[in-house]
Amino acid sequence: MFGNVTNMAQSMFILFEHSSGYALFRVKEFEDVGLLQPQVEASVTDLSLFNSLVKLSAFSPFKSGTNALDNMNSVSEGLVHEDLRLFLETSVPKSTKKEKVIVGVGDSKLGAAIVEELGISCQHTGVVPEIIRGVRCHFPNLVKGLTEQSAAKAQLGLGHSYSRAKVKFNVNRVDNMIIQSISLLDQLDKNINTFSMRIREWYSYHFPELVKIVPDNYTYARVTQYIKNRKELTDDKLEGLEEIVMDSAKAKAISDASKSSMGMDISPIDLINIELFTSKVISLANYRKGLAEYLGNKMHTVAPNLSTLIGEQVGARLIAHAGSLTNLAKYPASTVQILGAEKALFRALKTRGNTPKYGLIFHSTFIGRAGTQNKGRISRYLANKCSIASRIDCFADIPTSVFGEHLRQQVEDRLKFYETGEAPQKNVDVMHKATQEASVVQAKISKKEKKKRKKDKRKMNETADTSATAGDTTAEMDDLGEEPPKKKKKKKKNKENEDIFMDVTADTTMETTAEGDELDTSVKKKKRKKKNKETLEMSMDASANPTMETTGEGEGLELAAKKKKKKKKMMMD
Amino acid sequence: MGRPGFSPRGGGGDRGGFRGRGGGRGGFGGRGGGGDRGGFRGGRGGGRGGFRGGDRGGGFRGGDRGGRGGRGFGRGGRGGMRGGKKVVVEPHRHEGVFIARGKEDALVTLNMVPGESVYGEKRIAVEDGEKKIEYRAWNPFRSKLAAAILGGVDKIHIKPGCKVLYLGAASGTTVSHVSDIVGPEGLVYAVEFSHRSGRDLINVAKKRTNIIPIIEDARHPHKYRMLVGMVDTIFADVAQPDQARIVAINAHHFLKNGGHVVISIKANCIDSTAAPEAVFAEEVNKMKTEKIKPQEQLTLEPYERDHAVVVGCYRPPPKKTG
Repeated sequence: MFGNVTNMAQSMFILFEHSSGYALFRVKEFEDVGLLQPQVEASVTDLSLFNSLVKLSAFSPFKSGTNALDNMNSVSEGLVHEDLRLFLETSVPKSTKKEKVIVGVGDSKLGAAIVEELGISCQHTGVVPEIIRGVRCHFPNLVKGLTEQSAAKAQLGLGHSYSRAKVKFNVNRVDNMIIQSISLLDQLDKNINTFSMRIREWYSYHFPELVKIVPDNYTYARVTQYIKNRKELTDDKLEGLEEIVMDSAKAKAISDASKSSMGMDISPIDLINIELFTSKVISLANYRKGLAEYLGNKMHTVAPNLSTLIGEQVGARLIAHAGSLTNLAKYPASTVQILGAEKALFRALKTRGNTPKYGLIFHSTFIGRAGTQNKGRISRYLANKCSIASRIDCFADIPTSVFGEHLRQQVEDRLKFYETGEAPQKNVDVMHKATQEASVVQAKISKKEKKKRKKDKRKMNETADTSATAGDTTAEMDDLGEEPPKKKKKKKKNKENEDIFMDVTADTTMETTAEGDELDTSVKKKKRKKKNKETLEMSMDASANPTMETTGEGEGLELAAKKKKKKKKMMMD
Repeated sequence: MGRPGFSPRGGGGDRGGFRGRGGGRGGFGGRGGGGDRGGFRGGRGGGRGGFRGGDRGGGFRGGDRGGRGGRGFGRGGRGGMRGGKKVVVEPHRHEGVFIARGKEDALVTLNMVPGESVYGEKRIAVEDGEKKIEYRAWNPFRSKLAAAILGGVDKIHIKPGCKVLYLGAASGTTVSHVSDIVGPEGLVYAVEFSHRSGRDLINVAKKRTNIIPIIEDARHPHKYRMLVGMVDTIFADVAQPDQARIVAINAHHFLKNGGHVVISIKANCIDSTAAPEAVFAEEVNKMKTEKIKPQEQLTLEPYERDHAVVVGCYRPPPKKTG
């Protein structure tokens, strides 16, 4: 690598980022890089030796704590901060024909960014890490006015602010809500069940026959709350009872049983206590319903494809188990398949037995519907689709549920194929269709959002300009309310040639986004930002072509399926 | 966690799974942190908490009485080992660590912030002439470093004035003891990836000014290179399949020549199918290739199952021949 450079004189600088500021060191001139390495290694431990090798050429301290945090964030992401650019521009001499200037940096990413933005050639391998080690070791001694203590203090302050910021701007915050609510849902189910059992036991002293007639927990609780003392259950109460149990025969049976019950009498004070507890359980059950709804909504905004494919609850469980949607998206499909069955898996690995066929995705309806022979197959297929869906959800810019619907249909077709042998549609075709539909929907949504943003801006301006009276604002609101549907219609006319089904899906998604208020959009925006970052990190341009990726994978799947078929044939032979 | 796929990092599941052995564990957390990661206790710090109840008969038992599982955090107050006349504190062979001799012996460290417990551990006040000095009990069932000390490790390479890079700091329970040991002159760089346990870690670090909390992935030391200076010792308790690599790249960045690494290895996390001894040997070999010369290895029985602590020297100074 250096063979062609050795003839030309080169001077090397080392950029060192410390929590107190940026420092640039000039490395003593050298001719042969190969000779430098052992020299550096020997001198790292000794300050005076190291001093003869490396000289401080510039140092720019951070102005404040927030400024330091800003810089730190850029450095850890491998970006060139404005301050760093200024520092390098002023202190690194330009490369000339005679002398080449190289800056040694600690991170390849930052090096690449500097090359791109400033045109200074960078190096992060070879002797550089060793020199940086030495600089780190002796830094307080190399920079004047910096002591060991003050350096540590700068690190402490910056460490706290950096870590606090990390915790504060948790990228998974939407997922966390899902994780907590699904956990709460499970907990509530468990608790409501045990509480209901308690009510049954308790109330059965008074009215033992009721359990047989009303087996459902929730209904039972409501009935007890309604009946109270069974002796007071008269015929005029029958109507209300019928409303609760939704069955006139049952209501009649209850009233009959109450007259000939073998339960003991109950005092009013005991009854009040039972009633109090019953009402708590009923409200808990109602709360559970509300929570499930909330979770469903959350899932549809965060992971629309995944939730349409396997349902909100199972999807939420998958996310909860993986830790976040991003983690789930990074898992291979084989892991998704047995997520939640780790214990069985490791036992199987240890004893060399059979590995489990499914974990959490067992709760999806698809697996229950498949025959015993095909349970493992459909589980594998479903896991593949889940994996794809979670990736689309995680990395797509504009979330739609189009892919989820298609993937779901594919699983349905596959089920049918196992049952009847009817060949499913080819994966390539399905994905192609889905991509087209999705692009249409996404275009509509993005247009919509742009409009909304514009409107928001206008609104903000107007409210700023005029001290808006109540009448004005309502008029404006009316305007806002009327505008979008008109345009929607227009668009519909334009696209009459296209599939009806497509339009239906598009409209539903559009409506939901229209319903979402400003807050929603801001959340989305933030999410997108996060996603962009992550996609960068993963160095896969998934946001640009998630569809291509999926089709690629789909093809792979298709191939695998074909192979399986062949194998089967061979076995039959 | 043997397979990389499952719980991303600090998977409480494994630690939790281990708990079963300890007898009554009580408390939330289903079957250990694994089932409800991000649940009530979340992260790995929580998962570990369950140990306290474990009365395994025999063995050293911190100051904790058996059978009191699930009391989790924030149980201030004192019980069991009262401070006062009966307890005599004497220095341990390792500098900065002490032994409290009372009805039961306990490993303790000098409390840097008198009057406060970090995770509900017991405090023992001793009157030394006029001054009152406070020590904090160190439970070997909760801390691998304490387990290693009680297991008789030759050197922990953590002493007053030391700079330590602590990878896998979790909620800061062991970190708080390390900060006690290194004292106000020393520094502890505590790296933890999980946000949930990081929150607790930051709270611990607020009170102890010699802890620098770093919420970042230990796999990417270049991301926190601005925060860390050269250190004397790296202590790693990350329980990851690529643990040796993580330690090595951190050592290349931050460890002095002739500095030491102390690694706690959990065999199950690296390969759940192989024999633990084989896994340890493999890890030691990996360290050798990264210029870390292994010096010592011991298992953490009876405190942890299939765990080992390996002590090594990074770029040891060349031996003088002759």
